[in-house]
Amino acid sequence: MTSFHEMNDRFSLQRRDVLRLLGASSLGAAALPLFAQNAKLPKLVTVSGAITEVVYLLGAEAQLVGTDTTSLYPAAARATPKVGYMRQLSAEGLLSLKPDAIIATNESGPAVVLDQVRSAGVKVEIIEADHSWGEVQRKVQAVGRAAAREAQARELQAKLDADWSQVQQRVAAASKGRKPRVLFVLSHSASPQVSGEKTAAHSVIGFAGGVNALGGFQGYRPMTAEAMASAAPDIILTSTQSIEAHGGVDKFWQRPELALTPAFKKRSLITQDALLLLGFGPRMPAAIAELHEKFLVATA
Amino acid sequence: MSQRFSAQAVLGGSALLLVAAFVVGAASGAYAISLPQLWGVLTSLGQGADKSPEHLVFLNIRLPRLVLGVAAGAGLGMAGTLMQGLFRNPLADPGLVGISSGAALAAGVTIILGAWLWPVLPRTLGSWTLVLMAFGGGLSVTLLIYGLSRSEGGTRMALMLLAGIAVNALASAGLGFLSVMATDEQLRSLQFWLLGSLGGARWSAVLLVGAAVLLSCVAARSLAAPLNAIALGEAQAALLGVDVERIKRRAIVVTAVAVGAVTATTGIIGFIGLIAPHWVRMVAGPDHRVVLPASALLGAALVLAADTVARTVMAPAELPLGVLTAFIGAPMFLWMLRHFKGRI
Amino acid sequence: MTAMPRDPMALCCAGVEVRVGAKTLLADASVHLAPGRVTAILGPNGAGKSTLLSVLAGQRAPTRGRVTLDGRPLEDHGMPALALRRALMPQESAVAFDFTAQEIVALGRYPHRRSPGRDEDAIVEEAMGLTDVSALAPRVLNTLSGGEKARAHMARALAQLWHPRPDGATRWLLLDEPTAALDLAHQHSAMRLLRAWAARGVGVVAVLHDLNLARRYADEVVVLGGASGGLMQGATAEVLQPGLIEAVWGTPCQPVTSVDGTVQYLFG
Repeated sequence: MTSFHEMNDRFSLQRRDVLRLLGASSLGAAALPLFAQNAKLPKLVTVSGAITEVVYLLGAEAQLVGTDTTSLYPAAARATPKVGYMRQLSAEGLLSLKPDAIIATNESGPAVVLDQVRSAGVKVEIIEADHSWGEVQRKVQAVGRAAAREAQARELQAKLDADWSQVQQRVAAASKGRKPRVLFVLSHSASPQVSGEKTAAHSVIGFAGGVNALGGFQGYRPMTAEAMASAAPDIILTSTQSIEAHGGVDKFWQRPELALTPAFKKRSLITQDALLLLGFGPRMPAAIAELHEKFLVATA
Repeated sequence: MSQRFSAQAVLGGSALLLVAAFVVGAASGAYAISLPQLWGVLTSLGQGADKSPEHLVFLNIRLPRLVLGVAAGAGLGMAGTLMQGLFRNPLADPGLVGISSGAALAAGVTIILGAWLWPVLPRTLGSWTLVLMAFGGGLSVTLLIYGLSRSEGGTRMALMLLAGIAVNALASAGLGFLSVMATDEQLRSLQFWLLGSLGGARWSAVLLVGAAVLLSCVAARSLAAPLNAIALGEAQAALLGVDVERIKRRAIVVTAVAVGAVTATTGIIGFIGLIAPHWVRMVAGPDHRVVLPASALLGAALVLAADTVARTVMAPAELPLGVLTAFIGAPMFLWMLRHFKGRI
Repeated sequence: MTAMPRDPMALCCAGVEVRVGAKTLLADASVHLAPGRVTAILGPNGAGKSTLLSVLAGQRAPTRGRVTLDGRPLEDHGMPALALRRALMPQESAVAFDFTAQEIVALGRYPHRRSPGRDEDAIVEEAMGLTDVSALAPRVLNTLSGGEKARAHMARALAQLWHPRPDGATRWLLLDEPTAALDLAHQHSAMRLLRAWAARGVGVVAVLHDLNLARRYADEVVVLGGASGGLMQGATAEVLQPGLIEAVWGTPCQPVTSVDGTVQYLFG
């Protein structure tokens, strides 16, 4: 039987130890979130080239576990596991990558697959693609949220907003004269199509200080000689992929539908990579600036 | 004379193949579920235990897809047998009566013109819009072709074949027209639909399709013996007491419902209706009382096998199912033509 | 022409006309067929023999006139009921798929599927034995010769009528050119088979092209395509006179008497 004093001593010892332990653990507790964050950054799947670009810009590429087939920039994105075409995703395929979040535009589908993924506990962020600067902002915010890098996202957004307003000011300042009539031709598939209102191209042309030579309809229509003649664009805008599909610039100009346009006479053709031009991603301020410069050159 | 196996052997063998395909399909997929994990999911069914990710993936994504595959293959195999018996030709398939082209046209209209024509519909029906439209389209075109083939003497199969060719051509033209008007994205969506897929299978749709196919198979059972008699020719069958007109009507309705329901949910899955009955006939002979059930079983096994390959070979992406069935089916079809050189 | 006694169990047609568009296949045909006899329908090509047979079978509805069986119109009986007691062996038949001869003969039992006997398999076997196609049972029908196919179809018709009807209704065996594709030996054995069945009370009606077979084996004949475009029915010996034969077939005809006393004809 130990004496009361001995027992007391033992307890005090234990109390001291406990206090020391508590002290250490509170420090440790403060350090814990840092460790936890590094070990447990959310894993992402991005469905849309522009969204993938944002991920790389936020430095979160280590969190990227899968991208779709339109995610081609930067080059490293091409090496990530591909979940297929954005409109034909596979639920099991997405889940097999064990993502914490999927960020996609509202053009992705099928809707059922996204529902299935949601009900498996994965966060699905859908960004409305309305072809406005807001779309780009939403993409940055969404990636920031999903990647748990909201601070970096706010920084990036601020920078992009600044770039954007700079470009917009330049465009506004330069638009004293007549705005060039620009027509966008899409030609990745068999028949070339031209874009009317409510398309990405329409917004891009407007942002860059031009005016869409085609109006009165929404979406895409096949290119016809009469439509082209009556539209009378000063500049033809197309993607580099479309030119490749035609087999070169000369072959492109040989298209009979273009022969009656003012653009044809001056060989006014501007090409840009499709993702850069229409992706509504973080490179958009630079893309619009470049486009604007080319407009000025063409109308000089 | 080719070797023939007994009815029990063929039916048993087909059922076994189906079970094997189901088990392999259940164990395969982009999402890695090991066999012990799978066993764990199956044994914990019904208990409200914690839902592990494997549990959710298997029950909500993989299993409905497997069941849909069984229903699709069974419906297509059965319908293919019915059509071949009705047309008295081993090259017939359900597409002849316009179900696939009608469904495709309706799908095209929905994808490309839907928002413009009926803005209300997608909002009220949501993702069911395409399914219901495709089903309606398939049935409508079948009805049209059936109506065109009727004369005073009853339904003439030769007329049905010609009407089918003409209406199918019209539907293709319609689709072509729609493709010109479509945007790139719409075109891609339509293209994927046309290639068929079991992806996005959810229990509500799967159970509906399953019910439709089950009912059709039950209704088709009574057609087996009469179809044997019809092989003698419609005139002889009538003399044997077969109500040929009624058999035709029932066969077409059953085909339209089964294939319509399947196509509306999965898009167009080709070749199963052509190949399954042929393979069964090769080993069992042409008695429809064996060919009908065995084609359903074999068709289901084929679809499951093709789908398993489709969703694993390019994981995490997926190949459209129609691409795989065409890969298997087209060479098979060519082989059939060679084999039957003198006798079609 | 001796008047045939009116039989209440007869298969009759009265004033039957079959017209397709502008073409008349059969005009004003009236026959009265009694069971227990072999009746041959004769006539040159295009006279309407097959048409008459298909009308009698209920396969084809006449544009005018009516057909009665046991005193009731054919439509009243209904096709499923008729199939239990009336079989038609077709002139030619394109069979789809690779059914074996045995399976084809077994299809003759289709009308009886609701109340199968215990000897269904035996019936098929015996029927095939009667027409000498037993050895061909496992062979695919479409690979057989014309004569072999014909014998298989005949076995099918026999299988369909195998047992007498429980209600005593007469059975009718209608055959369209059953001997056309058969070799000599099988022609005669087939006709003897038909006579045997007629002796058992079955009404046998066969379209024949061979007048000598008809003369030897038929109890009565129906001759189509006479000078008046009409129809003659009567006992074989009475109707098949050289004068009529020459008038209807346009071929000189010389009767000879064979060793067993049967009259046969030499043509040419």
